[in-house]
Amino acid sequence: MKIQIVYTGRSYQIAERLPSEIDLSDGAKLDDALHAVNQLLSDDEQLPPSCLISVAGSHVGTLASHEDQSLKDGDELVLIAPVAGG
Amino acid sequence: MRAISLSPEELERYDRQIGPGVLSVDGQERLKNASVLITRVGGMGGPAALNLTMAGVGRVIIAHGGKMISPDLNRQVLGSESVLGKPRAPDFGEYLRTMNRFVEVEVIGHEPDDADAAALAARCDLIISCPPTFEERLRLNRAAVQAGIPFIDAAQWGITGTLIVVKPGETACLKCLYPEPPPFEEFFPVIGAISSATGSLAALEAIKILSGSGKPLWGQMLTYDGYQGNVAKVKLSRRESCACCAGV
Ligand SMILES: [Zn+2]
Repeated sequence: MKIQIVYTGRSYQIAERLPSEIDLSDGAKLDDALHAVNQLLSDDEQLPPSCLISVAGSHVGTLASHEDQSLKDGDELVLIAPVAGG
Repeated sequence: MRAISLSPEELERYDRQIGPGVLSVDGQERLKNASVLITRVGGMGGPAALNLTMAGVGRVIIAHGGKMISPDLNRQVLGSESVLGKPRAPDFGEYLRTMNRFVEVEVIGHEPDDADAAALAARCDLIISCPPTFEERLRLNRAAVQAGIPFIDAAQWGITGTLIVVKPGETACLKCLYPEPPPFEEFFPVIGAISSATGSLAALEAIKILSGSGKPLWGQMLTYDGYQGNVAKVKLSRRESCACCAGV
C-alpha cells in the first residue's frame, strides 16, 4: 500500500530530497511507516522525539509517545517537527 | 430596540468589516467589549496586535521585554529604525495607539511570569501566544486553561508557521501536545513575511472567536510550509493524563 508523507514544521527542508510517498506491504502499521521514513534520513536529519505525528488528518502523538495503529492505502502521514520561533 | 454602544465614528471606521460574510454590528460590539493579551509582539505578535487594534478589539494588551536590535527589523512591523537600542514595548504601544483611537492599548515591558500570566488571563477574554520558547508558551497555555479562556499559539521557523487554537476543557491544549518543552534555538532563522502571515492568521482566529463570526480552528493545528507551499490541518487529540487540562 502507498502512504503519502508530508514533512513540515522545523524539518521542511528534508522534504526536498525525500519521496513524498512510500510503498509498504499490506497490513503495515504506523511504526512500520515511521521505520521506513527513518531509514531514508541521514544522522543529521533525524526527526526530534517531540515531532508530532498525524495520520489521515488526526494527531496521534509524538515520535516518542504514540500508540501503533493500522494504516490504509492512501493515508497521509504528516510529520511536524516542533516550531517555537516568536 | 437595544442601544448600540458603537459611536457613529466607530461605525464609520469599521464600515468595511461590518456586513454579510464579515462581522455583524453585534459582533463588532463584542470586539469592542473584549480584552486580548498578546505576548510577545515581535514578528508574529506585532502583526497580530496591529490587526486586532485596527479591527477594534476594545483593549489590546501587549507584553514584550528587551531592547530593539537590528536583526529584529526583518520582521518586527511595530518597530522602526528609530527604536533601535531602546526598549521596544513603549514605542510599539505608541504606534498601535496611532492606528486606532477607539482602542485602549496597555503596555507591559517584560515577559509575564507565572503570577503575571495568571493575573492577566483573569482579566482577558483571549490570549495570543507568540514567544520564542516553549516554556513561555506553556506558561501562557496554563494561564488560559486555568482562566477558561481561548488560547491561540502562533509559532514560526524559517519559512514555515503553525497555529494552534485551544478551547479549554473541550479541545487539546498545548501541553497535551508537548508534555515536556521541546528544545529550541534562541536565534532561529526566519523570513518576516511568514511571521506576518502567521501573526495575521492568529489575529483572524481571535476576531472570529470574539465576534462570533465564522468557524474557528478549534482543536486544530494549521501548518503553512511556505518553503514547499504546503498547507496541513491536523485535528489535535487531548491527552487524558495532561498535567494542564485533565479534569478541566
Ligand atoms: Zn492539555
